[in-house]
Amino acid sequence: MFLKFSLRSVFYGAGGGNDIQWCFSQVKGAVDDDVAEGAVLSGKLPEILLVSVPPSLPPPFLPLWVLIQMKIHKRISALRKMKCFPCQFSNTIKSAQLNTSALMSVSFFDQADIISTVEFNHSGELLATGDKGGRVVIFQQEQENKTQSHSRGEYNVYSTFQSHEPEFDYLKSLEIEEKINKIRWLPQKNAAQFLLSTNDKTIKLWKISERDKRPEGYNLKEEDGRYRDPTTVTTLRVPVFRPMDLMVEASPRRIFANAHTYHINSISINSDYETYLSADDLRINLWHLEITDRSFNIVDIKPANMEELTEVITAAEFHPNSCNTFVYSSSKGTIRLCDMRASALCDRHSKLFEEPEDPSNRSFFSEIISSISDVKFSHSGRYMMTRDYLSVKIWDLNMENRPVETYQVHEYLRSKLCSLYENDCIFDKFECCWNGSDSIVMTGSYNNFFRMFDRNTKRDITLEASRENNKPRTVLKPRKVCASGKRKKDEISVDSLDFNKKILHTAWHPKENIIAVATTNNLYIFQDKMN
Amino acid sequence: MEFKLEAHRIVSISLGKIYSARGQRGGLKLHKNLLVSLVLRSARQVYLSEPCCPPEPPPAGGAPPRGPTEEPPPPGAAAAAWAPGEPPPPPQDEAPRGGPRRPGADCESPRARRCGCCCAAAAGGEAGCAGGGGGAAPLPPCCSRKRGAGERGQAGSPLKKPRREAEEEPPPPPSQGEQEDMETGNVANLISIFGSGFSGLLGKEPPGRRRAPRDGGEAAAAAAAPAEAAAEPGQICCDEPVLRTLNPWSTAIVAF
Repeated sequence: MFLKFSLRSVFYGAGGGNDIQWCFSQVKGAVDDDVAEGAVLSGKLPEILLVSVPPSLPPPFLPLWVLIQMKIHKRISALRKMKCFPCQFSNTIKSAQLNTSALMSVSFFDQADIISTVEFNHSGELLATGDKGGRVVIFQQEQENKTQSHSRGEYNVYSTFQSHEPEFDYLKSLEIEEKINKIRWLPQKNAAQFLLSTNDKTIKLWKISERDKRPEGYNLKEEDGRYRDPTTVTTLRVPVFRPMDLMVEASPRRIFANAHTYHINSISINSDYETYLSADDLRINLWHLEITDRSFNIVDIKPANMEELTEVITAAEFHPNSCNTFVYSSSKGTIRLCDMRASALCDRHSKLFEEPEDPSNRSFFSEIISSISDVKFSHSGRYMMTRDYLSVKIWDLNMENRPVETYQVHEYLRSKLCSLYENDCIFDKFECCWNGSDSIVMTGSYNNFFRMFDRNTKRDITLEASRENNKPRTVLKPRKVCASGKRKKDEISVDSLDFNKKILHTAWHPKENIIAVATTNNLYIFQDKMN
Repeated sequence: MEFKLEAHRIVSISLGKIYSARGQRGGLKLHKNLLVSLVLRSARQVYLSEPCCPPEPPPAGGAPPRGPTEEPPPPGAAAAAWAPGEPPPPPQDEAPRGGPRRPGADCESPRARRCGCCCAAAAGGEAGCAGGGGGAAPLPPCCSRKRGAGERGQAGSPLKKPRREAEEEPPPPPSQGEQEDMETGNVANLISIFGSGFSGLLGKEPPGRRRAPRDGGEAAAAAAAPAEAAAEPGQICCDEPVLRTLNPWSTAIVAF
């Protein structure tokens, strides 16, 4: 039982709060670039390592998620060594004058550092992030320290590798972006870790393995690898393994390519741990992890005449327990559940989940905001959650005609849809996630806010991922957005929200109250305050 | 009336998005463009269904500056079908003259009406409609269906783009019957005219031209190349016939 119920919780504003007290733990990535910060202009990554806070607890904050340790990590410097983007590019941009507009801030950073996916592995020990530059960075939670029993281990860089490179499709004269769209971990079967990462066209299976021993004492080879002249060998010895510094290697074991005409938006590993699906805008393919030269097409919604296209697939996922069941969501706000036992091509759904539209909310943009950007099964498999632009809906798989719960994420944006359409923010694809016990759901919003909804207590909270006031052990203060009327103290008005700062990707540790929240180019880790 | 203005604005914004999406890295995003086209359609429906229509823009007298085009001016056909006796607007003129990327609401609706009527008359294989329809890369025109086989062969550049990209990313709105067909064609024509208008615009402005390479891809450049290369000769408005005669591959190579 890891939820703490605290009598001292103070709930800010009408929104109420959670019983979990969230604390800032870590932030990874380059410092957000104000021109004022010299470190940014120099182009070098500030190697600031704040030592972990001594165990004494600060004076009792109002309990929320607490920052345990803040460390600006080696991630960026390590990545810059890899020949992807020239550092000079970001420097010249940074030294330009900043001209902030009212609605959207202008921040200059390497486009390749934009985080595009975040995923914990099945044990929660590893946390993988993918970015727009095609790189994958894996963090590992350090083992819990006996002396620091009040805080969980923090996440440090475990492995970094270039997963996808930009490619060029000569036939269509199109560049294929190397941005990592999704990462999915395989359950661990041996000492190595495996994950699937995908860009728009190609899925790769990566093996991440540790090497902490190396053989020494070969007879025919010198230590540096040169071969010895056999005639100089006078005695024989048996090579032995000697310990060495831990080295983590990532190698691509399978490459699943050339199966998708449109852009891949989802991958999902089946509960049989042998197959997985990949979904693009119009088709879903079923793969076997061992076989790369063919896949089965299980859903195809491409109309014979493309002019009759009305909806596309936006996300797909396998059921966590039933290996024959999967769902896919569409841009029209519907979710279809399919059973692979019914037919080879699952074009006819077994269940169709759709909520009738509220006619009073009709506008030009009703179709856009009803498009589902993410669908996630609960861990139990009984429920699924969908995220559309303004809300999160929880569906019971047994009831198709409406969701069982609906949570408004940022309803105050409904009157601003036209502006959001103009600046393209209305097309942002927010993701959502469950906590380990399926009692709380979380999703991101703008201004680096993220929201959590407790399904049992029906309370919700808005928190912000920012470096301000985030010293070690800082408790996160609940935020509130003032939709209209008088703005109370500490509230933020809708017009001052920064729509450039959006949290699209979040992940929740499968077992503990640790969350990873990705802002544009930083990764924040929060955990609950442990007493 | 405000609905009409709002719908106008949304139509112009949507067209701008569709057009600018052609040059983006990674290829056209089918989902986003489908949504934009849905918005475009509903905005146009609102606009066209409003009882009072704003007056037509400058008469066909302005059409000749468009260029030495032989094509029977679509405005002619449009005018005939749309409002009896009303002179058609010359959108291709307005686009380059417009300067900024959004020529203004005025251009959009007349264009829409013109194209709609053009499509209506396209059953006979309007050349203008054909060229216009072909130019729409992201929206394979329904007009093309009505086009004669001969014209299809002529429309090299504009057609090649939709054909190549039709495999991948064309998100046209659905057609529900004849009326809808016309509207789809409307949009298709809109795109083409818009696109060709922009080509002329971009041809004159160096930043516009460099837009394609800046988008980070030879691919992006190639996709936008045919339209922009047509502007290289410095023509004010890339006329359908000019676009049609250009070999898309050579223009792509030139853009490289």
